[in-house]
Amino acid sequence: MHERLSFHIKRDSFLHSLNPLTKLVLTLALILIAFTFPYYWTPHILVLAAIIPLSLLGKVFREFSVTALRLIIPAAGFLFLMQAFFQPVGTDIIFKFYFLDMTMESVLFAFRNAMRVFVMVSAFTLFLVTTHPSELMSDLTRRGLPGQFAYVIISTLQILPQMQAKAQTIISAQRSRGLDTESSFLKRAGSLIPLIGPLVFGSLVEVEERAIAIEARGFTSKQVKTSLHEVPDTAFDQFLRWALLVFIIISIGLNLWLS
Amino acid sequence: MLDKIKSNFNTQTWVLIPIAIAINIAVGQIVLVLKLPVFLDSIGTVLVAVLCGPWAGALTGALSNVIWGIAIDPGALPWWPVAAMIGYMAGRMAGWGFFKSWWKVVVTGFVVALTAAIVSTPIAVYLFGGITASGSSFITAYLLQTGQGIWSAVVSTSFLTEPVDKITTAMIAFAIIQGLPKRTIGGYPKANQVATEGGASSTQLYIAIGVVVALVLFAAFMLRNILGG
Amino acid sequence: MAFVTLQNVTYKYPLTEKPVLQNINLQIQEGEFVSVIGPNGAGKSTLCYALAGFVPHFFKGEISGEIEVDGKLSSKSTLDTWVLNVGLAFQNPFNQISGAKYTVFEEIAFGLENIGVPRDEMKKRVEDAMSLTGISELADRSPYSLSGGQQQRVALTSILVMRPRLLVLDEPTSQMDPIGTREVFGVVRKMAEEGMTVVMVEHKVEWIAEFADRVIALKEGQILMEGKPNEVLTSDLLTENGFGVSRYTSTAREAKKQGLWKKQNLPVTLDEAVEGFKK
Repeated sequence: MHERLSFHIKRDSFLHSLNPLTKLVLTLALILIAFTFPYYWTPHILVLAAIIPLSLLGKVFREFSVTALRLIIPAAGFLFLMQAFFQPVGTDIIFKFYFLDMTMESVLFAFRNAMRVFVMVSAFTLFLVTTHPSELMSDLTRRGLPGQFAYVIISTLQILPQMQAKAQTIISAQRSRGLDTESSFLKRAGSLIPLIGPLVFGSLVEVEERAIAIEARGFTSKQVKTSLHEVPDTAFDQFLRWALLVFIIISIGLNLWLS
Repeated sequence: MLDKIKSNFNTQTWVLIPIAIAINIAVGQIVLVLKLPVFLDSIGTVLVAVLCGPWAGALTGALSNVIWGIAIDPGALPWWPVAAMIGYMAGRMAGWGFFKSWWKVVVTGFVVALTAAIVSTPIAVYLFGGITASGSSFITAYLLQTGQGIWSAVVSTSFLTEPVDKITTAMIAFAIIQGLPKRTIGGYPKANQVATEGGASSTQLYIAIGVVVALVLFAAFMLRNILGG
Repeated sequence: MAFVTLQNVTYKYPLTEKPVLQNINLQIQEGEFVSVIGPNGAGKSTLCYALAGFVPHFFKGEISGEIEVDGKLSSKSTLDTWVLNVGLAFQNPFNQISGAKYTVFEEIAFGLENIGVPRDEMKKRVEDAMSLTGISELADRSPYSLSGGQQQRVALTSILVMRPRLLVLDEPTSQMDPIGTREVFGVVRKMAEEGMTVVMVEHKVEWIAEFADRVIALKEGQILMEGKPNEVLTSDLLTENGFGVSRYTSTAREAKKQGLWKKQNLPVTLDEAVEGFKK
């Protein structure tokens, strides 16, 4: 079990050196364009022309490919199958399975949607892999995001693995006491309380003391907060953000204009 | 407005939110392991909503989905507005006094379920054409094949799956709050919302079960009307 | 004019019947190192919370009397300004980790970020504080990966770095070995000599005898006795009231009954005991 949840891979690359906000805008731009640009092959082109080159620029192509194969492609593939079979569009039936019809239209529709999801998840993955959470939060706090948000995001990322580890321990402990995840429905439902109870109560009782500890360290101070880390923001970053914003506007504009 | 939002957040709220998100995700995963036919992935959201207020609840819900999306299942990402609405609605219901006894909690769960169904429909329809990667989409697909319109197919699916899940969620959250020492609750912004009403808790529980049955019948009736029409 | 004054302070937590603090009157001079002892439920932690402003500002409840630190009244202040003057570290180190930081260095800087200390000064202060408490080599570790004793040092450093005028410590060494405990007492003594006022709840009486200026014994929310460490810690009143005392004190007390301890005063530390038995 990792002691913290972070996808960040430390590398010295062009993508790593970009300002976190720039990368966030880039991620959103890729997603919005994939979903709104009114051209069928847009998401497919984005994968070839943006996602893969970016993973190379970030020197994370190998890690990215592994994630894509293990997580993203199965998820997108499942969505593709569900939609290809269940989408009741078109008449040109190419495959029949009981009452389910797969048509040319539904396959094309499903393919595009699956690619859109692939772009969305890939863009987020690249963002997370090349950006350290505390760097992102320092930068956003400096730009006016309330400090409490940084606190919530980072501490969630640190508490979650601890909680999952605890959940795992509790499940194993209950299993050794005879909990069977294959047993009858009522038994499994009844085992929920002894599983959830210890997990939840322990952490809720801690809240008060943890609140005291951070208040003692000026959490509610009305001073303008400063940051230990300096996050660079170059002229190139600013140019890139504006350019991406223009692309987003064009894409959404075309979508609205043509529909 | 801004003051109302701010009143949801004190230091204990900020400390509780990460824990609540972790509870959402960890319990959601335990339920997956147990293969129960519910999600129970918003217990933490309801806890925050009830103890701190609707805005804190909405924030917890939205962040849960974003973090669930980036950490575990990317497919959860687009559903953040649903999670936010669950938190908001649970907080509103608690504000109106509907988190003080078992049967009221059941009503809260039901209202939250309806809200979730309504908010999730446009996302399912516009983003996924009605068919998502979730198991309940088999129902939607079946309804679509029987000639239902896409909107009514998606809404009916949600009406079938949401109430059981959200009523159970609300009842577990209520049980947790009941089980906590009073002193632990006192520091949250809306602690007075959960001061329970009198009456024997076993009678309360029976009434609650009755209300659940009534609501399920009501939902079935509504559904038949939708399907029939 | 004392640096810290408690005047007739009585306090009750919400939803409780009995006051936890009753008519506490207390004066502490600037730069004094005061240690508080007492059995469980004596109100030691509540006294710490009262000095640090959390009683009543955080816990609410009913308070009467006045708490004054550095000429400011707690009743007329808010918690966010009060904590700039008064630092608090307590027993459970795990709950004192902010959770918002990935390394020990960042963790210690957390408080300084919150109160808006400029970056260069912040780095210098964090480095100084870490070398003072001897944790410089932990700088890049995750706070969650540390032992309980190390986490307690991080918690102490995280408060010291904010340079409070009054430092309130509630059993800050409970998870440390004797060497670590001795070092922490040494650091606290040094801070007191540099002018920081210290109130420290502890039950390790041998170290209190060696390092503190004054001891306050609390029982059931009231001050049972106070005075020089050796007077208080060897007093019969403590034993009669069920306080834990040093094993050297109880040994010498037995020895005195048998006529083996010739000195008037009983010892608290090993050195005093050895010295006394030599005579």
